[in-house]
Amino acid sequence: MTALFEIFDPKAAPKPIGIDLGTTNSLVAWVDANGKPMVARDCDDVSLVPSVVHYRADGGVVVGRGAQLLASEHPRETIVSAKRYVGRGADDDAVKGLGPYDLLPRADDGPNVVRFKVHGRAVTPMEVSAEILRSLKRLAEDELRAVGGVVITVPAYFDEAQRQATKDAGRLAGLDVLRLLNEPTAAALAYGLDKRASGTFAVYDLGGGTFDVSILHLDDGVFQVKSTGGDTALGGDDMDRAIAEELFVAMGFADASARPAAIVRLVLDESRKIKHALTTSDVAGADLPHAGGAVSRVEISRERFDALIAPLLARTGVTCRRALKDAGVKPEQLDGVILVGGATRVPAVRAYVAKLFGREPLADIDPEEVVALGAAVQANQLAGSVVTDEVLLLDVIPLSLGIEVGGGVVDKILPRNTATPASARATYTTQEDNQTGFVVHVVQGERELAADCRSLATFTLGGIPPMPAGLARLEITFRVDENGMLGVHAVEATTGLEQTVTVEPSFGLDDDTVEQMLIDALDHGEDDLDARKLAEQRVEGRRILAATRRAMADSPDLLDASERAAVEAVAAKLEKAIEGTDAARITLYIDDLDAATKPFAARRMNEAVAAALRGRDVTSVEVEVAHAKGIENAHADG
Amino acid sequence: MTMSGFDPFAQLGLERRFDLDLEVVERTHRELSRALHPDKFSGGTPAERRAAIERASAVNEAWRTVRDPVSRAEALFRLAGVPVGEVNEPKTAPAFLMEIMEMREELAEARGARDLARVEKLAAGVRAREARVTASLASALASGAEPAAALPMLGELRFYKRFLEEVSAIEDEAMEHDGAV
Repeated sequence: MTALFEIFDPKAAPKPIGIDLGTTNSLVAWVDANGKPMVARDCDDVSLVPSVVHYRADGGVVVGRGAQLLASEHPRETIVSAKRYVGRGADDDAVKGLGPYDLLPRADDGPNVVRFKVHGRAVTPMEVSAEILRSLKRLAEDELRAVGGVVITVPAYFDEAQRQATKDAGRLAGLDVLRLLNEPTAAALAYGLDKRASGTFAVYDLGGGTFDVSILHLDDGVFQVKSTGGDTALGGDDMDRAIAEELFVAMGFADASARPAAIVRLVLDESRKIKHALTTSDVAGADLPHAGGAVSRVEISRERFDALIAPLLARTGVTCRRALKDAGVKPEQLDGVILVGGATRVPAVRAYVAKLFGREPLADIDPEEVVALGAAVQANQLAGSVVTDEVLLLDVIPLSLGIEVGGGVVDKILPRNTATPASARATYTTQEDNQTGFVVHVVQGERELAADCRSLATFTLGGIPPMPAGLARLEITFRVDENGMLGVHAVEATTGLEQTVTVEPSFGLDDDTVEQMLIDALDHGEDDLDARKLAEQRVEGRRILAATRRAMADSPDLLDASERAAVEAVAAKLEKAIEGTDAARITLYIDDLDAATKPFAARRMNEAVAAALRGRDVTSVEVEVAHAKGIENAHADG
Repeated sequence: MTMSGFDPFAQLGLERRFDLDLEVVERTHRELSRALHPDKFSGGTPAERRAAIERASAVNEAWRTVRDPVSRAEALFRLAGVPVGEVNEPKTAPAFLMEIMEMREELAEARGARDLARVEKLAAGVRAREARVTASLASALASGAEPAAALPMLGELRFYKRFLEEVSAIEDEAMEHDGAV
């Protein structure tokens, strides 16, 4: 009982937090003692932490506003908008023109990830993100005794590699990542809980560097994502760049290759300020150095700004219309449009959205805080051991997942906007006689040719005995879990040879590399890591013991006496292992307990399904009764 | 679970029939998704969490299969022991094949001319035909007659589905060219 007391003592309970890890700014939030979500603010009452990390020559790291101030002076040592590089390959041309950084080429045998060269060493975008997360964790710890599990939001359009890199960044920051949550879903969650509304909503999220649109259906406590669309390279930063181009021309720096890095940074900063000023003023400007050396004022009118960003808005319009179409929803069927992201403060954006969807968008909650608030709500629900009538989120796969088949063509196994968790199978055969292996190339995207899609993983299923073409049967199963992470299983049916890969994308870092980074990040290396593993396994062991006992108390009839005895025996061994200091032993008995409770878990699931189906039948009767009453009322009225 | 053994109707606790009330299908999916949602088991044992995710995936797959008329019909044929797929089904009747070719040609012309009104008119015609065949297939499958006899209607439905997908792609294309509001 002591163990249970320790876990459930509310004073000792670490607080679950929600983090909006944004391209431009990041925030951390939690649900306070009164059940109200709130964002953390620093001593100056500011909630936004600029997603900027500066690496000092002495090895120190500065995050946030402090780093932002150093950006124009040290453009190459200050990483801005690292999220745009997360999960991207070093050979990806799209990332090359994004900032004034020294990008290292891919090492021959190294992982294919972007690496910034800072003070002669390589820094990955994932490590930059980890610094931001660490800083947010500290900000939360200033107000909370201890930080518990965390929900981190990602754009709905993030692919596998980008999601994996975000999760790894959380691990590297020493956080227990409970879940990755799509940003628009988080926003809707913040609104849904506040308003208790039901209906169909569009979430228009124009952040610093990414655009997302989601069509959500909320019914009876279930949020269903009907469709999503977006662009990982479109946002407020592009508005800054559009203004900057205008300023450069006025300053006599029309030639992009002849712009000093410090000037680029300065002009981008001024452009951002001008954009903000134009939210309320008709004209804004800045004093800027010209190519000849003189300094004079350059101004931009709101009218000119609106014209500059019109093409960007048109791109969001195309994506929105496609998302509506995918969801089978017409603009007039929507019950509301939710605005998310700092860029939606721009009056021209609001006007465009209003016109596009034929209604004024909702903006009751601060569009820059709404995602973090929703993440906090979700973290709070996930960490709770008692199930309340929470709102549930049903997500979809943002991009089609498939494999490359003959001729470089993609066979889509799970099409975009499939509800998750999802699984699907496809069967293939050999094309040549005596073919002894299959190369399985997993890709993500909507294009027909594998070369035009994102390559996620490649693995080989070998050792197939020689047989004529068309005889071997390769069954490939795709599974996408509740985090949107893909697992691929391949089995050759005639021989039973099989292989499973959790997609460790070709654009990511492998687990060993992340583990090594984790060790490097700790001051005392391996000893600390061992101590941490033991602590983690003890918490996990206790959690599983408590959950098992709760389940057995809930459904005593689903276990016979001998099964019960077997479970109790393993539970006792696990309890003893937890008192010891051998983490591996705890892991062993956790696995044993897992195996011993497997049939029991399956029976519990059957019960849950049966209960839900009974509930449905009751609901359909209720609907009929309500309908009949409606008819009576109509008669009474007549 | 192999494909041939998968019964999407049983997964959803629904009767094995073609003319299902799709509103009931949606409601069932929602209720089961709620009951099996991973968040409900975040405090459960690992075995329970895994079982819930597996079951939820199966329910999602069943829902995907049942809500689409073509895959719903394919599942019914399969469960009745009638193999489906290009090689197993009878060849398309030559008269229908001619019609198909003409319709596709007309669609390609309309696409080339960027004539969305004509594309929409063709689509409306195909939707009407699709509705008629869907109704006939429903009564054929409910009649208790040898299901294999109804296979040509499945082929016809598949064609209409592909045609309407192409229409959708053309509409997407048109949207790309027309971003401004």
